Amino acid sequence: MKRLFRNKLWVRSLVQIFFFVLVALISLNHTLAEAGKGIPFLSSASLHSLCPFGGVVSIYQYATVGTFVQKIHESSFVLMILGFLLALLFGPVFCGWVCPLGTFQEWIARLGRKLFKPRRYNHFIPYKVDRWLRFLRYGVLAWVLYMTAVTGKLIFAEVDPYHALFNLWSSEVAVGGLIVLGIVSVASLFVERPFCKYACPYGAVLGIFNLFRVFSIRRNPGTCKLDMACNRVCPMNIPVASMTVVRDHQCISCLKCTSENVCPVAGTVDFATAGRKS
Amino acid sequence: MRLTSKSLGPIVVVILFGGILFTTLMGWWQTESVKEPVKYTTGELAGEYNPADIRGSYTFGDINRLFNIPLEDLRVAFGLPSDADVAAFQAKSLEEMYSGLEQEIGTGSLRLFVALYNHLPYDLVEDALPAPAVDLLIARGGLTEEQLAYLETHTVSLDAAAVQEAAATPAAIATPEATAAATEEHVPEAGLVAGKTTFQDLLDWGVSQEKIEEIIGGPLPVARGMLVKDYCTQNGLSFSTIKTALQAAVDAAQP
Repeated sequence: MKRLFRNKLWVRSLVQIFFFVLVALISLNHTLAEAGKGIPFLSSASLHSLCPFGGVVSIYQYATVGTFVQKIHESSFVLMILGFLLALLFGPVFCGWVCPLGTFQEWIARLGRKLFKPRRYNHFIPYKVDRWLRFLRYGVLAWVLYMTAVTGKLIFAEVDPYHALFNLWSSEVAVGGLIVLGIVSVASLFVERPFCKYACPYGAVLGIFNLFRVFSIRRNPGTCKLDMACNRVCPMNIPVASMTVVRDHQCISCLKCTSENVCPVAGTVDFATAGRKS
Repeated sequence: MRLTSKSLGPIVVVILFGGILFTTLMGWWQTESVKEPVKYTTGELAGEYNPADIRGSYTFGDINRLFNIPLEDLRVAFGLPSDADVAAFQAKSLEEMYSGLEQEIGTGSLRLFVALYNHLPYDLVEDALPAPAVDLLIARGGLTEEQLAYLETHTVSLDAAAVQEAAATPAAIATPEATAAATEEHVPEAGLVAGKTTFQDLLDWGVSQEKIEEIIGGPLPVARGMLVKDYCTQNGLSFSTIKTALQAAVDAAQP
């Protein structure tokens, strides 16, 4: 516990742990409730009904037919709207603070950092290649939206590592999801948040909000020492030191690059609105 | 305006849980389907629940509540053990419990059972019932000659071992090995319109979109993977009538 609070961003770690445990307990309770042994006072909702991306893939069917995609309910729509509201204000803060799969990848990344030198970890893929690979998730998004619209079924659930992670104990787990989860777990030893960077369709949607979010990562070039500390610590490999406002579609608003955490000069890298006082 | 992690964290939590609380109070927060099937809209049954819209997520408790069928009758009809939590048993579990039988026992079987139990109209197309359910229905009486004739060819006999094995796994899955009457897996025949046929199947079998739309009397659903049977239920159409017309169209499209 002391170690947790030594971390300058301990609030973020606490929020991540909270959501990870909450989702795990609800998913476990869902299985128990189906067997008639549910834990009282704890939601036993299915994981699908608590996934904001379920709302995104249902938009087309809801608009054209007036129904939700199989297994999706009103709660997914509510979470989708709340996710959009958060993203409009703060960017993909859902990815950086709430998503349990992102948290899971970060935990594996700690092991990766111990296995490799700090400058090597998270830099295995050459920048020129990596830069284009980052757009793969938009391809995944297009595929998922198209297939869901055509079939009316939750196609992504068959390969969703998030669903697999929290259904390891249930018969609902899909083989495809387990395989992807295995790949993501191993890849996380080399690359930080590989699923978020290259494959997450929901991250792709939220990433677009970075282009116009209200609060952004902002660097003050006047006080910046250009020590590149912000670049090194960024899990998404964003060159913060070369920007004044981070509009990169991959930023997850984790605040690791800010003066609160790593930048040695106070007020140089902040999470702020356009009119901030430096 | 500047935010730190100490303010952003609570803001995120408050927006998420505040939003959930607000939508809960407004009645918008639903994490599962409302367990209420569509109702008959015309005729003397108008206003009564239509068993054709029973979903796989419905529990026997829901069936008991919606259609006034005693849980004990449901338990006996579908071979659940006496100590099972019958009220929590989901219709979709039937398919897994009785997998491998020559004729499928699943949600459709429950729909058929409910309809015959309460003497409600139902398309006799392909749904089968386990023998104990048929025995119970015949004992209650009131079945028409057509229904009795249908049941003669749509009754799945489960031998004692199969029922015992299924009974040993309450609200769960009996393995194919456990169902002694199991034969080969049922695979829908290509070109044969049945309850599992989707609109995409029809297109794949060469029926044009225009022809399908002419038969169903409306535009083709966006979700081509939708079951024709579900479409009929949702739109108040007789599946058996639509099925006959579609089968003719499929036959005409075959080379």
